[in-house]
Amino acid sequence: MAEPTAKQILLDPLLNKNPIALQILGLCSALAVTVKLETSVVMAIAVTLVTGCSSAAISVIRAEIPNSIRIIVQMTIIASMVIMVDQILQAFTPELSRQLSVFVGLIITNCIVMGRAEAFAMKNGPLLSFLDGIGNGLGYGLMLILVGCCRELLGSGKLFGHNVLTPVTEGGWYPTNGLMLIAPSAFILIGLIIWALRTIKPEQVEAE
Amino acid sequence: MKPETKRTFKVAVTLSLICSVVVSALAVGLKSIQEEQKEAFRQQSILSAAGLWTEGGDPGQLFKDNNVAAVGINLEEDKQEIGDLSEAKFDMAKSLQNPDLNRSIAAADDIAGLKKIEKYSIVYEVKDGETIKTLVLPIRGKGLWSTLYGFIALDLSNIANGPAAIKVAGLTYYKHGETPGLGGEVDNKLWKDKWRPHPEVEGQKKRAVYPFDENWNVVVEVSKNATTVHQVDAISGATLTSNGVTNMLQFWLGKNGFGPFMKNMAETAAKVDVPETASLTSTTNK
Repeated sequence: MAEPTAKQILLDPLLNKNPIALQILGLCSALAVTVKLETSVVMAIAVTLVTGCSSAAISVIRAEIPNSIRIIVQMTIIASMVIMVDQILQAFTPELSRQLSVFVGLIITNCIVMGRAEAFAMKNGPLLSFLDGIGNGLGYGLMLILVGCCRELLGSGKLFGHNVLTPVTEGGWYPTNGLMLIAPSAFILIGLIIWALRTIKPEQVEAE
Repeated sequence: MKPETKRTFKVAVTLSLICSVVVSALAVGLKSIQEEQKEAFRQQSILSAAGLWTEGGDPGQLFKDNNVAAVGINLEEDKQEIGDLSEAKFDMAKSLQNPDLNRSIAAADDIAGLKKIEKYSIVYEVKDGETIKTLVLPIRGKGLWSTLYGFIALDLSNIANGPAAIKVAGLTYYKHGETPGLGGEVDNKLWKDKWRPHPEVEGQKKRAVYPFDENWNVVVEVSKNATTVHQVDAISGATLTSNGVTNMLQFWLGKNGFGPFMKNMAETAAKVDVPETASLTSTTNK
């Protein structure tokens, strides 16, 4: 198999190998933070940075990690980065930090981060691992933004907090769709997106 | 020890050391900024409880614009305490560690699970000229997993008609560790709105929450089926947190909390309001 180029590593996870749509990883936080676009974007940035930096860090020391403790070592590095991101958010964007509450801390449980560390960073150089982490983070972010757009627009008539479809509760015409504000709607939307993606790219459909 | 085992230990210890140092350095370095943010949020909560908070506002400016003043209170003698509010005796965290500045509560009275309370506290008065429109009191008490810290704002505009006319203007929590989605719903705007007074609307039963009866007994409670003007709907799936809210309100508005102070304040205000009629009645009665 030909060595993947840096460009492929960065762009493949957006549509061809999207971590949520193809690998079905990282769903929990996708459900929780996509009620509003603002939290979706912040979460996407946080996961992208954590995945990129932790993959790079793990790749740098990959020759040194003894096989018997490799999972724990990966977790330690990822957990430290997650704590750092959480502390920075609490200090500089307190309102966002309150809205994201426990979900920033839960990035460590996001399968995408550990998945890329184990599947890619342990076998490739730091720069490629960093790009792979960023690429997967961007793929995750793309899904989050798509879902977040739908949920905030249809659920409260707003985008980034600004009225687009003025809701009835604020004197407008749009009766807000309450289903969009609860978790099952994210499941449904992700399912619809996966369906659409596999219709456009049938190679993603799993063999029977 | 086998050389591979030694190496494994070395790697594990080195990695742990490096990660711990980096993480703690960051936490310590950012601590002062985080403390500032927490204090700003506390100020915001005071305004939010009183219904004076606007998004993106500056707490200091809003305090000035709305005539909100911090007032020191002596909780043991139930009266105002004049003094510099930045002194250590008004600092709740420090008071609870200094035996001269706190007192224990009898187990039978300690419904909020506090064990000790401070002698000196700070309340916030929103004034309209010389009369106090809204009184914001700090409250805290045990929920399910944590102690909840917040403010209750009381609308005193009708206090001349007796304690039963005091309404709740709002309730806000600024710090707690309850389960998100369950007890954490104390932060949900829809639940917080249940405490606020609403204008009279056709077909709506309740318009405001009245915490006291005519004899200054605290009758407010968070209950499963809120029907009277003294009750607020509990949070589904969060019985213990809801009970915690009831308990802390009954404690802090009652005889061990701010109750006697409010009673004294009301009686002094009543005396000031009716000097002429008092002298008339005294001549006829005597």
